[in-house]
Amino acid sequence: MFSWRRLQENSLFLFPSVILTLVLGIYPLLWMLRFMFYDYPGYGDELFVGLDNFERLARDSEFWKSVQNTFVFAAGKLLITIPLSLLLAVLLNKSFRGRNLLRAVYFMPTIISTAVISVVFYIIFNSYNGMVNQLLMKYHLIDQPVPWLGPKYAMLTVILVAAWGAVGNYMLLFLAGLQSIPQDLYESASIDGANAVQRFRYITIPMLGPIMQIIIMLAIIASLKGYESIMVMTDGGPIGKTEVMYLYLYKLLFPVPTGPPVEQQLGYGSAVGFATAIIVGLITAIYYFMTKKMNKVF
Amino acid sequence: MLKKWFSLSLSVVLAVVLTACGSNNAESSKEPATASTSSEAPSASASASASAEKKVIKYWTDDRHDQEYIKELISQFNSSNPDNIEVELTVLSENFNQSVDIAFSSNQAPDVLRLKSANTELFYKKGYLTPLDDYLTGENEGMKTKFSTGIIDNVNRFGGKLYSLPNTGLTLRLVYNKDLFEKAGITSPPVSLQEMVDAAKKITEAGKKDGIYGFALNFKNPKSAFDRSVREILSLSGHQGLGFDLKTGKFDFAPYARVIEYFKQMYDDGSILPGAETLDIDPLRAQFAAGKIGMYLSFSTEPGVYKDQFPTDINWGGAIAPSIDGTQLGTSEIVSAGTWLGINEKSENKDAAWKFMAYMYGDDIQTTYHEKGFGIAIVPSIAAKAKNPDIKGMEGFLVGKSDSLWPVSPTITPEGLNYGDAFFKYMISGGDLQKITDDLNTRYNAALTAAVAKGDVNVTALPDFDPSKLQAK
Repeated sequence: MFSWRRLQENSLFLFPSVILTLVLGIYPLLWMLRFMFYDYPGYGDELFVGLDNFERLARDSEFWKSVQNTFVFAAGKLLITIPLSLLLAVLLNKSFRGRNLLRAVYFMPTIISTAVISVVFYIIFNSYNGMVNQLLMKYHLIDQPVPWLGPKYAMLTVILVAAWGAVGNYMLLFLAGLQSIPQDLYESASIDGANAVQRFRYITIPMLGPIMQIIIMLAIIASLKGYESIMVMTDGGPIGKTEVMYLYLYKLLFPVPTGPPVEQQLGYGSAVGFATAIIVGLITAIYYFMTKKMNKVF
Repeated sequence: MLKKWFSLSLSVVLAVVLTACGSNNAESSKEPATASTSSEAPSASASASASAEKKVIKYWTDDRHDQEYIKELISQFNSSNPDNIEVELTVLSENFNQSVDIAFSSNQAPDVLRLKSANTELFYKKGYLTPLDDYLTGENEGMKTKFSTGIIDNVNRFGGKLYSLPNTGLTLRLVYNKDLFEKAGITSPPVSLQEMVDAAKKITEAGKKDGIYGFALNFKNPKSAFDRSVREILSLSGHQGLGFDLKTGKFDFAPYARVIEYFKQMYDDGSILPGAETLDIDPLRAQFAAGKIGMYLSFSTEPGVYKDQFPTDINWGGAIAPSIDGTQLGTSEIVSAGTWLGINEKSENKDAAWKFMAYMYGDDIQTTYHEKGFGIAIVPSIAAKAKNPDIKGMEGFLVGKSDSLWPVSPTITPEGLNYGDAFFKYMISGGDLQKITDDLNTRYNAALTAAVAKGDVNVTALPDFDPSKLQAK
């Protein structure tokens, strides 16, 4: 039932977050929405160009390649991360000695700086004296060093590194989900003669449905937006093979001059930012629509 | 109910007021210089205390290699200048340009800024810099003569006004491992690109079993790699090094493409260090210091790097880079020259800032700066009297008769791949080089035309430009 008092209280509690959202979220967003229609290098006059930035976006083959790379990167990362983190969560949900230690170890990558870890992986995977190649050559598994960060394997390498960094995080979320499943369901299934695989298939998976839907959605968004480790390891190279859309966007907005000056492209960058947000939003919405059934616990 | 609602509202109002007070305090503490100047001005007239007259100016730089020496100079200036000026030094890192942008947008910008070729034009366009012409009169008239050869349009002079003065520059050289050359039976550094390709092949053949390769560059950022290599080869061969044709005032990447063919040959020969596709400059230097790379091309910062950052026992040296066909039709371009310090247009202490700047540009300091090896002096009167820096390998990088400043190419933002990425793509995956070159010419010239139309860039063709007449010494 409607109550003025309740509305007032609610408004009061919402006030700080609404103000923060307005100032730090909506206000910059409105500027971005405006800049999309301008040519603006960060100084001087803003030149209104209408839909020019979007026409450029449509013919910008480098951007569309980066979108394609983003899908490959996200799909690869999800295919490794989700099953592996679920498996680890199920194993670490059992009680055995050292369980908490292992949970901490698997969660560790989540709390370590991505930049630091990526530099370490860059050293591990480099072609000329990287540890991976040295190890493989020592055991005569390869004759020549493999160019892990070369055009052929760079995407695979950055996917592996990204998956390594993400598994612990999703494992923890799955663990939280698993612990919310009542134990008596498993007990009665065991009495009825269900084996471990059957219990997993018919109890764990359906009961995890709603939380799994959210975890996968978060993982999809994170994979589509991820670029930090790629920036450190390959900077989108070689020859654009690991250029993902958020890295492409970052370079437009924050170019790092290595010699002669390079101008910011705030106008075109805003258009690209808008397009990337639409792409991520669309994919998330489609996923959410297609997985509505997961939200129902039987 | 009303009472409760009132007390809650009151709490919110109090919280907001307290926050507002807090932010005021924070702001005032961030600007002690401004606050103290305004509040102490009346008392200064009364007591004429020395501290009230003190002018604090801020100097921001992203140079780290010389910071101990700069600190020493600033401390000397602070204790000895008669005008009671105190300079505060802030050393920033790679995010210098962004930090400066933020500082200007929040009115907290430094009074004096370190200017480099990568930021001067943008800072000028953003209105950050004050012209120095008015300061170069009267007793400072002599400075005009001292720096006259280093005053260049679109480097330190924009729209007819001067915004910085030269100190040092960077020369570009072929950096090579003498032992590996000798081991491969090569007696001298290459003078043509074909010789460079052959030398890289021989060094690789002689050393591959030990992980030694003939050539490398920091191809993780292809533009950075080419801007320290192809640029030098082109300018020595008589072409502007960033693909701009000074005679026509348009971009023409045809000479660039000729150089890339030889780079591709080295890649196809397997003479380039494996993994160079994602090599940064520091890992490259580490491998060179470990004796795994025959040669690469880079700036005169390298001797300092091998002295402090990657100390090495290998026998290495710097030599004039090869030209396309072995004939030097031009000079090796001295880069990052022409600018050092500049003054903030919005500074309230411009005169004090200029006094500090004039102190830094004094003959003694510029001479010592060169002698300590922090940069290579390009001001003729300083270069003539300064002793050579005592740093191993520096002798190969000193300004000689093959080096000179060049007119600059315009700053434009083309659509699509930059020339570095486009040519590197060809280098490692092939394609139609003519088509790539034509595409680059089209896109770069379209961006140039748009920039000229917008008034961002002025281009004057120099039909009589003769690269052989550019001489430094």
